[in-house]
Amino acid sequence: MKAIKLNVNGTSHPMQVRDDEVLLDSLRNRVGVTSAREGCGVGACGACTVLADGRSVSACLAHARRYDGVAITTADGLPEDDVVVAAFVESNAMQCGYCIPGFVLMTKELLKDNPNPTDDEIAEHLEGNLCRCGTYPELMRAVRLAAERSR
Amino acid sequence: MLEVDEKQPASTDSTATTSEDAPAQPADPDTLWGVGERRRRFDALGRVRGTIKYVGDEPVATDTAHVAICRSTRPHAVIASIGIDAAAAVEGVIAVVTGRDLFAEYGDRMYTGPAFADQPALAVDKVRYVGEPVVAVLAHDEPTARAAADLVHVEYKDLDAVYDIDAALEGTDYVHAELRPSSVFADLAHLSGVRDTNVNYEYRQIKGDAAKAREHAATTVEATTWAPPTHHVTIELPVTMAWVDSGRLEILTTTQTPSYVRQTASDLLGLPLARVRVRTRALGGGFGAKMYDRLEPLAAALAWKLQRRVRIATTREEAFLLTTRHGAQVTGSLSADSEGNLVASTADVRYDTGAFADVGPRIAAKSGMVVPGPYRIENVAVQSRCIYTNKVSAGPFRGFGVPQVTWSHETLIDELAHELGEDPYRFRRRHLLREGDIATMGTKMHSADFVSCLDAVAEAVGWDAPTPADDGPIRYGKGIAVGMKAVLTPTVANATLNLNQDGSATLLISTVEMGQGADTIMAQVAAEVLQIDSTLIHVVQADTDATPYDTITAGSRSTYHTGNAVRLVAERMRDRLIEIAAEQTGAQAEAISLTSRGISVDGQLTTTLPELVHRTFGARGATLTTTSNFTSWWHPYDKATGLSEKVTEHWFASAIAVRIGVDTRTGRIQTQHLAVAADVGKALNPTLVEQQLTGAAVMGIGHALFDQLVFDHGQMINATLLDYQLPSMRDMPEKMTPIVVEAPHRDGPFGAKGVGESGILGVAPAYANALRDACGIRLTRLPLTPESVLAGIEESTR
Repeated sequence: MKAIKLNVNGTSHPMQVRDDEVLLDSLRNRVGVTSAREGCGVGACGACTVLADGRSVSACLAHARRYDGVAITTADGLPEDDVVVAAFVESNAMQCGYCIPGFVLMTKELLKDNPNPTDDEIAEHLEGNLCRCGTYPELMRAVRLAAERSR
Repeated sequence: MLEVDEKQPASTDSTATTSEDAPAQPADPDTLWGVGERRRRFDALGRVRGTIKYVGDEPVATDTAHVAICRSTRPHAVIASIGIDAAAAVEGVIAVVTGRDLFAEYGDRMYTGPAFADQPALAVDKVRYVGEPVVAVLAHDEPTARAAADLVHVEYKDLDAVYDIDAALEGTDYVHAELRPSSVFADLAHLSGVRDTNVNYEYRQIKGDAAKAREHAATTVEATTWAPPTHHVTIELPVTMAWVDSGRLEILTTTQTPSYVRQTASDLLGLPLARVRVRTRALGGGFGAKMYDRLEPLAAALAWKLQRRVRIATTREEAFLLTTRHGAQVTGSLSADSEGNLVASTADVRYDTGAFADVGPRIAAKSGMVVPGPYRIENVAVQSRCIYTNKVSAGPFRGFGVPQVTWSHETLIDELAHELGEDPYRFRRRHLLREGDIATMGTKMHSADFVSCLDAVAEAVGWDAPTPADDGPIRYGKGIAVGMKAVLTPTVANATLNLNQDGSATLLISTVEMGQGADTIMAQVAAEVLQIDSTLIHVVQADTDATPYDTITAGSRSTYHTGNAVRLVAERMRDRLIEIAAEQTGAQAEAISLTSRGISVDGQLTTTLPELVHRTFGARGATLTTTSNFTSWWHPYDKATGLSEKVTEHWFASAIAVRIGVDTRTGRIQTQHLAVAADVGKALNPTLVEQQLTGAAVMGIGHALFDQLVFDHGQMINATLLDYQLPSMRDMPEKMTPIVVEAPHRDGPFGAKGVGESGILGVAPAYANALRDACGIRLTRLPLTPESVLAGIEESTR
């Protein structure tokens, strides 16, 4: 066990975590975050994506003990008027919605590094996230719209 | 890349509500967001920020017993012994339960299933596939339960296993000794018990004399096509919780079929329906994976036996073991006379349903009906069988077996066109069924505009424009295909509407919201009838204590069936309100109408809806209630010929066209353009319709190009998302065009029919037909992997 403070969306959560505890379990079971979700358990679907210091992490694989004090962002921590959130809503970029928070956070990461991505760059950055409803056309539009408004 | 043609008005993005809690009223009182409007999902923001709650987000009560399942390691074996002592001794373990324990409690009632009662909640004495649940271990937390389940020791005596449909039909080994019908659904009421066979259902369609017609035909093409088993892979993993409260069983579960689950639990536990409550929440995808008997019978059996709260969660690997899409082989032929008329169609269809029939018999029949395709054909001989093997069970999957037979008929007609030197688009067009034509199974066509769908996709991809010349190793081609599917019939939908005194409304239906936007369009239907803003109508999530019976949320049936129930319930409410207004004003009912601003008498606004209801009850917050039922009907098909003058309530018609480039060095297929069209009768919400079309097509691209489950001696060997490939954003066509065709259905709600499956039907054959056009090779086994494309090219140049 290790004592850590998980800093989630600006709030510090002190906790004791097992050595093998993954960040996703800490977020869901100890902090109460439900926007990060398990889809595969092997880092292959992106449904558990969170940002750690602005970098995307598969929370189903990351050990919680390594994130002591690191600024974690989850999709529910983004404001309603966040440019990416608003672009997703306006582009109808969701069906069942289960995977969408992961796409939102990947888009945040992409646009921070590359405010003017090409479609190929968007697809390359988001290809590790799976949307089984096949909402990719709307997702592509949403990312383009967010980029346009961010510039 | 990824350009999408959409005729979406710019205004869409600025007006619909975005709050996940309390939808703001639109500024304009005349904007109802009713039928035909591109209303956004009411909970769009919650879906984007991840704040809407799925079943797995429900807090876990501290008294919960977490269930881990010890699964069979053998495809077919007798259980010689089960050692549970080591597992039971683990600290934190509450109970270890075997199939024999459940049998002692429930007897034969522990066998469930939508067609045959062939699925034991836990295996009893015998296992029938690798992965079958054998022992349940309940513990205070999930890791403990899983660790203890690993300590269960099962001794097996292997039996000869039936690995594939050919072995199954040889009939030396049987997956089940005897079959017992479960008698849950009207369309499966005719099933009977049989012994000593692996064929649990056979549908035949006999029209004219196909053998003779084929003999005299000028040209016949033949093909044996194979569509492999695939998996739904809903990103949300299935999870079920069950507990006992005051002598009632309550279940909260990821299901598309709450009404069915209630019946199953009631039968299993021997409880009246009123003592079983089944609830669900928004699902993280369904596609057929979350239907009928998944985790629920075991959860119900354990919760009732132990009288405590249980929770069964699944890992991705376990989710692969719950159900699959049927692998299917079709040996078919299509014949034309010297003038190119279609004179005969024959097919032998074999669905591999694995160890449990599930709903396979219905799939064999309903897709068997359309094996010849949507064409005018004089003579037909079809045999469609559902066959047991010792593998994971197969069940419903978007398209319900029809994509597998579309793969056959769209391969055959394409090849026949090539054989006759005809253009594949125009050859199809010539033979397609038109309004009023009688389809091969004997049913008259209505609201199934195949021709407009075909024309639309051909035009979208520029069918007559020249195909680019070879670009080095890249060869280009175009392909086209149509799809035809019947809606499940007969089925039942009910609705209850509570009009609240403030003019808002609460709609109770058991349709499950799983991403398709049903909650949104049902509110739009009610809003249109009542002339109130649809954002003021809340749709209650399925809860069998409150929401009335609905057959299933599947098979694209909700828009038409539940939509009709909702239309009717709103019409009854409208009539009731007019009656009340007549009483209050003394005006004739004929002079009264509902408008977006209130109650109008002779065209004059006299009162508002809240005032009207308030005067009725003299209380704020009162509710006015109406109920409705909509039940579709059919003529059961003749069991010898498969023919029926009305085999279905309505048809789905769709078409796909693609333009592709094939890299002849790597075998890789790139898509320049995919167009998908479907006749939806009337688009209740065009944005959601287009999304269903492109979403289904994306799923179809996976099935066309790479998606497949691989088995080795009955064991699934690629059941992780590291090994099982699914379409990602990188697999998208450079351009996608969804096209809405509207040939209104005379009985549809505002003319509407469903759309969830239409877009997937023709995708795989459209690709194979484009490959034929590009490289001159005809592949008949899916998926069209780079390896199979290269092998095909190599063979053709040998």
